[in-house]
Amino acid sequence: MKHGKKSAALLSLVLAGLLALSACSGNSGGNGPAASPGSGSNTQGGDEKPVELIWYTIGTPQKDLDRVNEEVNKYTLEKINATVQMNMLDWGDYSQKMGVMTASGTPVDIMFTASWAFDYVQNARKGAFMSIDELLKSHGQGILDVLDPAFLEGSKVDGVNYGIPANKELPAQEVWRFNKKLLDKYNLKLDGVRTLESLEPLLATIKANEPNVTPLAIAKDFMPLAGYDYLIEKMPMAVKLDTKDFKVVNILETPEMQKELDTMRKYYQAGYIATEAATLDTMNDAILAGNWFTDRAATQPFADNLWSASYGYPVVSTPAGEPTIYNWSVMGSMQAISANSEHPEKAMEFLNLLNTDPYLRNLIDSGIEDVHYKKTGDNVMENLPEAQNYDMPTFSLGNVMLTYLTKDDPATKWEEFKTFNASGKPSPILGFNFNGSNVATELATLQNVKEEFWSTLMTGTVDPKEYLPKAIEKFKTAGLDKVIAEAQKQLDAWVAEQK
Amino acid sequence: MIGVRKKRRDFSQLSPLGNALAVLLAGGFAFLCVFPFLFVILISFTDEAALARNGYSIFPEKWSLEAYRYIFLTGDQLLRSYGVTILVTVLGTLISLVMISLFSYAVSRRSFKYRNFFAFFAFFTMLFNGGLVPTYIVVTQLLGMNDSLWALIMPMAVNAFYIMIMRTFFILSVPESIIEAGKIDGASEFGVFIRLVLPLSLPGLATIGLFSTLAYWNDWFNALLYIDSPNLVPLQSMLMRIETSMQFLLQNSNNPSVNSGLLQSLPQDTSRMAMVVLATGPIVLAYPFFQRYFVQGLTVGAVKE
Repeated sequence: MKHGKKSAALLSLVLAGLLALSACSGNSGGNGPAASPGSGSNTQGGDEKPVELIWYTIGTPQKDLDRVNEEVNKYTLEKINATVQMNMLDWGDYSQKMGVMTASGTPVDIMFTASWAFDYVQNARKGAFMSIDELLKSHGQGILDVLDPAFLEGSKVDGVNYGIPANKELPAQEVWRFNKKLLDKYNLKLDGVRTLESLEPLLATIKANEPNVTPLAIAKDFMPLAGYDYLIEKMPMAVKLDTKDFKVVNILETPEMQKELDTMRKYYQAGYIATEAATLDTMNDAILAGNWFTDRAATQPFADNLWSASYGYPVVSTPAGEPTIYNWSVMGSMQAISANSEHPEKAMEFLNLLNTDPYLRNLIDSGIEDVHYKKTGDNVMENLPEAQNYDMPTFSLGNVMLTYLTKDDPATKWEEFKTFNASGKPSPILGFNFNGSNVATELATLQNVKEEFWSTLMTGTVDPKEYLPKAIEKFKTAGLDKVIAEAQKQLDAWVAEQK
Repeated sequence: MIGVRKKRRDFSQLSPLGNALAVLLAGGFAFLCVFPFLFVILISFTDEAALARNGYSIFPEKWSLEAYRYIFLTGDQLLRSYGVTILVTVLGTLISLVMISLFSYAVSRRSFKYRNFFAFFAFFTMLFNGGLVPTYIVVTQLLGMNDSLWALIMPMAVNAFYIMIMRTFFILSVPESIIEAGKIDGASEFGVFIRLVLPLSLPGLATIGLFSTLAYWNDWFNALLYIDSPNLVPLQSMLMRIETSMQFLLQNSNNPSVNSGLLQSLPQDTSRMAMVVLATGPIVLAYPFFQRYFVQGLTVGAVKE
């Protein structure tokens, strides 16, 4: 038995060693060396061996992906002497699976990233992406030409660009959406509707006459607009949009937010809001059934048409705020080059082509002409029945302004997008990304406090007079002041750097 | 006579009232367990529009087979996933039975010099494992099983806990003297194992087999990690993908990028319920037949005598 014990000890030692080894290799794969040097591989075609790029993007995997991929390869082989292996990961899996893949050093050249999927800022800091500042200049000139500079400016992480934002709507603007059937039925006018308070007479009319309709259709993620930009989404640290001194404040202590919360409470008590709003994931069911009157949503040009088409009845909207360029709106959809890519130049050439070449962009977006769609005009197309086997999320695949219009789209669609983009006012902290690593423990505690109070306060489910002081107190004990001080320090340093 | 019969009443029998209460309690509890599933079946047969109007109800306003029609017309994905799941389950169960029984028989034999070492080797994995990322590296890069069916079978083929169960089973229910007798009659080690030990251990094998079958049938995580191609996605993973993607899109529905158009293309409530019914149906129906082994299996490895 002595022998058994000894060998067991030895074995555990060996296994422990193995574990340590593999953990190390995992790390170095993730942090991987930056750009492998090698410039001037710009020659196209010739006798160079074609490069195969591996591309992961988000969306439900499509049946005809391989078929379209083949066509894409024919074209890219000729254009940039490279082929692409397209892979799609489903919405819910994307973040987790990309996390494992980058951490394990699995070969990937290009990948989708955004503020809401495979978190761009966080993973850029972890070293998952390659810096593209140089590459953009050397191999991505076309992107620089078509993309609004605000996109690249806003998507810098600690002063460096790691991803190419899709050229689409740049600012985010909140609107009140209305069920037009009810507007017409009671002959309600939208003049003067803008703030939460101004909705009141309309909501009262609906409440009095339509017992089955939820007048203000909000769910647990609703937040009143108070004219602030949040440093971390749905955490109370915020900076006023028209700030001069870049002061970070607790939004719950601001008079603007307190006024909005009082209004929400009033609406809740008047029954304009579903009683279970604070726990509802979504009001989608009510909206699909048409049992709602108004809600708030982020808009883009011609969004009314889009909503009307997808719900099957007319929807109209009126602005609830200014179009503002936020970090998260700029980072809504990006393609980044992996830190361990062996062919960063080719990857950039491919992304350049994707963002500038209408043929390639539409091939990847809508499929093969005369198979998945047919052209009915110069840049107008119509889906064929096969299109259901190849239905890609357009916004995730680079420059949307190259995509063909459908027959319901106005001819000036992309012009309107450009006007909309030009109208956007940058948030004062556009391009600033808070680094929470120094206050990670506090942030975790704050998260718990937030879970406890946020939704009930924001939806008016509880009385702010009683619960707001409680929430502020709890946030304070959880260390909000320390986090705000840290944020203020970083923000001041950033502001100084900008000047 | 009646009096005599009454006297003979079993002492362990409950009084009629107590009996009725116990039956009611157990029945009520059983109903509570079964009800959610029955409800899912009901919803899957409900008309989509009626569901949106009235919410979930036990007596739907209108019945409909639309959900099943939708799945069978547009979703050959479901049938393909069925195929993948069945193939992986059958193949996986066979492979894991072979590997587990060979390993545990070896470590159960006293005459095997390194049996403690190998037993510890298996036991060690119950306490420590490599963690997600190193495991992923081994499977995809060292073994190169990325995006293949082997990635669904191999990671679950050997389970240290089942090895422990089988080892105890071999030690307790296969007498050493039978093995000796076989040897005296001139059987090889392998002959002893195949012709003497295995036939005696069928109940144990059935238990392990059942456990493996359930594990393979219900596995979705390996597919999430290793499978990219839609052709190789097993059933549970397909359901999981639909469900998590749905949730993800709903959570991000405020995001202007993820516009409402995407939500429309996802399956509706009734179709999702129908998928659940189709995915769990076979295993639920097969369950009563296995139940005997299942109950037995729980006592396998427990100390007897």
